[in-house]
Amino acid sequence: MSTPTATTLHLPSAVRISRWAPPLLVAVPLCIVAVAVEGFHSGFPAGWYLGVPRWFDSLSNWVTNNDSTNFFLHHIVTGFGNLLNSATNDVVNLLHWMTWVGVLGAATVFAWIVGTWRTALFSALVISSFGVLQIPNGGPNGISQMWPSAMTTLALMTVAIILSTIVGIPLGIASAIWPRVSRALRPVLDLMQILPAFAYLVPIVVLFSIGNPAGIIATFIYAVPPLVRFTELGIRSVKKDVIEAAESFGSTRGQILRNVQLPLAAQAIMLGLNQVIMMALSIVVIASLIGAGGLGDPVLNALQTQQIGEGAVAGLLIVLMAMWLDRSSAAFGQRATRDRTASLRNLTRRQHAGLWGAVLVAILVARYGLSLGDWPAGWGFSFVDQATSALNWVTNEFTGIGGPISTFLTLHVLNPLQRWFGDVPWFLVAALVGTVGWVRGGWRRGVLLAGCVVLLGLMQAPAGYTFQGTTSYNFVAWTDAMETLSLVVVSLVLDLVIGIPLGIAAYRWRTVDRILRPILDFLQTLPAFVYLIPVVTLFGVGNVAGVSASFIYALPAAVRATTLGLRAVQHDVLEAGQSFGSTRWQLLFKVELPIARPYLMLAVNQTILLVMAEVVVAGLVGAGGLGLDVVTGFSRSEVGLGAAAGLAMVLMGIVLDRLSQSNPDRWRVATS
Amino acid sequence: MKQARRIAVVVAVIGLVAVAITAGAANGSGRASKPTIVLANNSWEGSVANNVVAQYVIEKNLGYNVNLLTIDEIPAWPAMVQGKVSAVMEVWGHSPLYAQYVKGNHKVVDAGLEGPNGNIGWYVPTYLVQQHPELKTWQGVKKDWKMFVTPQSSPQGQFLDGSPSYVTNDQALVKNLGINLKVVFAGTEAAQLTEIESDYKAKKPVLFYWYTPQYQNAIYKFSQVALPAWSPACGKLKPAAINCAYPPYHLYKVMAAGLPKQAPTVAKFIQRFNWTSDDQNSVSYNLAVKHMSNSAAAALFVNSHQALVKSWLSGATTKVSPPAPGT
Repeated sequence: MSTPTATTLHLPSAVRISRWAPPLLVAVPLCIVAVAVEGFHSGFPAGWYLGVPRWFDSLSNWVTNNDSTNFFLHHIVTGFGNLLNSATNDVVNLLHWMTWVGVLGAATVFAWIVGTWRTALFSALVISSFGVLQIPNGGPNGISQMWPSAMTTLALMTVAIILSTIVGIPLGIASAIWPRVSRALRPVLDLMQILPAFAYLVPIVVLFSIGNPAGIIATFIYAVPPLVRFTELGIRSVKKDVIEAAESFGSTRGQILRNVQLPLAAQAIMLGLNQVIMMALSIVVIASLIGAGGLGDPVLNALQTQQIGEGAVAGLLIVLMAMWLDRSSAAFGQRATRDRTASLRNLTRRQHAGLWGAVLVAILVARYGLSLGDWPAGWGFSFVDQATSALNWVTNEFTGIGGPISTFLTLHVLNPLQRWFGDVPWFLVAALVGTVGWVRGGWRRGVLLAGCVVLLGLMQAPAGYTFQGTTSYNFVAWTDAMETLSLVVVSLVLDLVIGIPLGIAAYRWRTVDRILRPILDFLQTLPAFVYLIPVVTLFGVGNVAGVSASFIYALPAAVRATTLGLRAVQHDVLEAGQSFGSTRWQLLFKVELPIARPYLMLAVNQTILLVMAEVVVAGLVGAGGLGLDVVTGFSRSEVGLGAAAGLAMVLMGIVLDRLSQSNPDRWRVATS
Repeated sequence: MKQARRIAVVVAVIGLVAVAITAGAANGSGRASKPTIVLANNSWEGSVANNVVAQYVIEKNLGYNVNLLTIDEIPAWPAMVQGKVSAVMEVWGHSPLYAQYVKGNHKVVDAGLEGPNGNIGWYVPTYLVQQHPELKTWQGVKKDWKMFVTPQSSPQGQFLDGSPSYVTNDQALVKNLGINLKVVFAGTEAAQLTEIESDYKAKKPVLFYWYTPQYQNAIYKFSQVALPAWSPACGKLKPAAINCAYPPYHLYKVMAAGLPKQAPTVAKFIQRFNWTSDDQNSVSYNLAVKHMSNSAAAALFVNSHQALVKSWLSGATTKVSPPAPGT
C-alpha cells in the first residue's frame, strides 16, 4: 500500500493527479448522497450518538456497587493496589531510614561508579538541593522542607519504574518474537500514548481509590509504551546474519534470544528505560491530582493559591530530579552496554564491595551513632520571595504587550478559525480526511481515518443527558473538537514558525546550540502547571492562554527534530555541494533543507502530538474544547464525560498523527 | 555473553527488590496502631483553614497523626467509603451525594453543621455598581451585556466561571433568563482570580461566579447581582431548567462511617467542631496572604480562642441538618 507514494514522486504531474482520482471518485458521490439525505448544514447532527458516556457511567456505577462483593474487584484489584501502596511505603521508609547522609552518599557513589566525577558532583548537588531549597508552608502538612516530598516522589518513581520494567521488557520481547503480539499491542500502545492522562485518572480512582497506587498506575500507563517499543526495536534490529551464524552453531531459539539478541539490544532497552524515567517524572504533578503526594503537591498547592514563586521553586526541584535521574541512568546505560575495557573506571569486585560497604557504614553511623534523620531544617533557605518578585516583574513588564497580542489572536485568528471549522459539515471533513489519508497511505488508511472522524462526532452525549453527578453539562464532541482543532493549528503554526529557525540556528552555530540545549531541557521537564498563572496574567483567561501553554510545551520538540533532521544529511552530499562552490547558506537552502524535509515532517508530527497532549492542560487556563471537557469530567468525577471526551481526543489525535506522518526511510529512497 | 549476564543480573536485582518489597508489604499490613486521620483539603482556602485548625487540635489534644490530602470535593466521598479520607470539614450542598452515601448506603455519617452559611452567586466589582447602579440586579446585566464582551466571548458578553469542579447553574441561568452572555470557564479558581485581579487593577467591567465565606472578600470589594429569588420549587427543577438564584448553603461536615469506632475522640471532635465565617476568614487570610505556616496560623487562632476550642473537646455536638434538595 505504500509503494505508490514513493514512486510517483518523480512522475509527471498528469500521473500525480490520478492519485487523487480513486479516493475522490468514492468521496464525492458519498458527499452528494449525504447532502441528499440530510441536507447541507454545518457541524454534526445532534441526534446521532452512540451513548458512550452512558456506557461508562453505568460501568463505573457497577464498579462502585460491587466493590466489596466482586471477587476480581475485591481481591485482585484491591490486593494489587495494596501491594503497590505498601511497596511505596517501604521505599519511603527505607529512604528515611537511610538518613540524608545515606541518600546523598548512595546517589553520589552510584553516579561516580557509572559516570564521571562530574556526574557524581551533579548528583550530590541535586540531592542537596532537595534539602537546601525550601518553600515556606509548601511541604506535606505545611512544613517548609522539601526533603520528605522529594523522597516520596523518588519512592513513587522507583516503584513505577520497577513495575514498568517487569511488564514492559517481557512485552517487548514477546512482540519481537511473535509478530501477532506486536500487531495486537501496537494500537494499545498508541492509545496509551495519545489518551490524555486526565481521561484515565477517574477510572483509575474508581478502581484503586485515590493515593499512591492510583498515582503509580497512571504513571505506568503513561510511561511504559516507549520501553516496549525500544525493546522490540532493539531485538528486531539485530542483523539476520548474526542470528544465522548462531543458528549454524546449533543454538536453540532461547539461547539465541538470551545470548545474542538481548545483549545486542541492551543499548536500546536502556534507552527505553531512560525514556520511562523521563516520562514518569513529567507526570508527577498529574499523579498528585489523585493523591500520590510528593513534589507534585507543592506545585498544585501553589497553583491553587496563585503563589507563583512557590510553584516555580517546586517545579525547579522536579526538573533537577529529572536531570539527575536522566544523567545517572544514561551513564549506567552506556556503561552496561559499552565494552567494559573501554570504560573509565574499571573497578574490581572487591573495590565495588568496599565502596558500597563504606556507604552502608556511613548510613549505620549516621542512623544509630549520630541519630540523624532527614535533612536538617536549618540547613536551607527559601528564595520563593525573590522568585515571586522576579516573575511578577516579568509578567508586569510584558502585560502591555500580552494584552494586545491576546486580543488580536482571539479576534482575528482563533475565533474566525473556530467559526470556520465549525461551519464545515461533518461529511466534508470526513471526505477530506479520507481522501488525504488514501493518497498518503492507501485506501485502507483513508477509510479508517474517515471512520475516525465520524466516530468522533458520535461520541457526543444526547441533549439533556444528565451525567452521573449533579450538574447538567452540554457535551457536543464535534463542536468542541473543532474548537480544539483551532487551538492545535495556531499552536502548531507558532511552534513551527519559531521552532524551525531556532533549530536551523542551533545546527548552523555551535554556540546557539550550547545556549539552547539547557533551556530546552528545562522547558521539556518543567511541569506546565508552573507557568499557568503567569500565562493567565500575561494573556488573560481564554484560548490564547491555552495556546501559549501548548506552544511552550511543544517548542523543544520542534527545535530538536529540526536540528536532528539537518544533522542526518550525509556528509558526502555536503562535500559534493561544497566542491561545486556553493556558499554555506546556499548549501543550507538548496541541499540540506530539501534533504531534511522528511525530518521536518517528523518535527511537524511530533509537535502536533505534543500540542494535543497539552490541550487538556490548556483547559485549566480557560481554553475551551475537548480539553475543558476532559478537565470537567475529571474534576467532577464524571467517568462518562471524561471517558467520552478522552476517546474523542484520541480519535482526533490519531487522525492528525496519521495525516502528518511520513516515513523518513521511504522518503530518503525517493529523494536520493 | 558477559552483557547477557549483566542484564540477567539487573533483572534479578529488580526481581529481588520486588520480592523484598512484597515481603515487607506483608509485614507492614500486620501492624496495628493509632490510625492516621486524613482530612480532605478541597481547592478553596476556607476548606484548608478548617483542616489546619482541626489538625492542630487533634494532634495536640487527642494525640492522633493528621494528614491533609488534596482532593476535589466529589471524589472525596467515594474516598471516605474506601477508607482513604476520614472526614470532610466543609461540604457545600451536594444533596445527591448525601442521598447516595448518608441516606443510601450509610457509608458516610453526617457530622453536623460547621457554622458559616455559604452564599454562591453572580458578582461584579463594587466600582462597577457605583458607575452603573442597574447592575445590582440581573435585569441590569441583561441590558448592559455589551459591557462584558471580551475577545474570548465575542460577540456575546462574558460570564467568568471558575473551576469546573464547583457546583454551577450559570449555563442554565444565562439561557433561561435570556441574557446574551457566554459562560467561560477559567479552568481553575486561581486562573479565575488572576483574571479578576487584573481587571480590578485596570477598573474594567467583569462579571463572575463568586461565593462567601472567601478571604479574598477582605481584599477586594465585590457586589452581588440579585438573581430571581430561590424557592424550594425552583430547587427541585432539573439542572438545565433552573431559573433562580443559588440556594442558601448551610455548610456541614461529614465523616467515614467507620471513624467513630476507629478513633472515637476524633469523631466526637469533628461532630462538635463549629465556628463562624469571620473565624475561618481570619485563618485563611493568615495562611494565604501573610504566608504563615499551617501550624503557626492554627496556633495563633487556638491560643486566642481557648473557650471555643474547649467546647470542641467537651461541648455539645452540632446540629445535623441535611442539605436542601437542589443544593
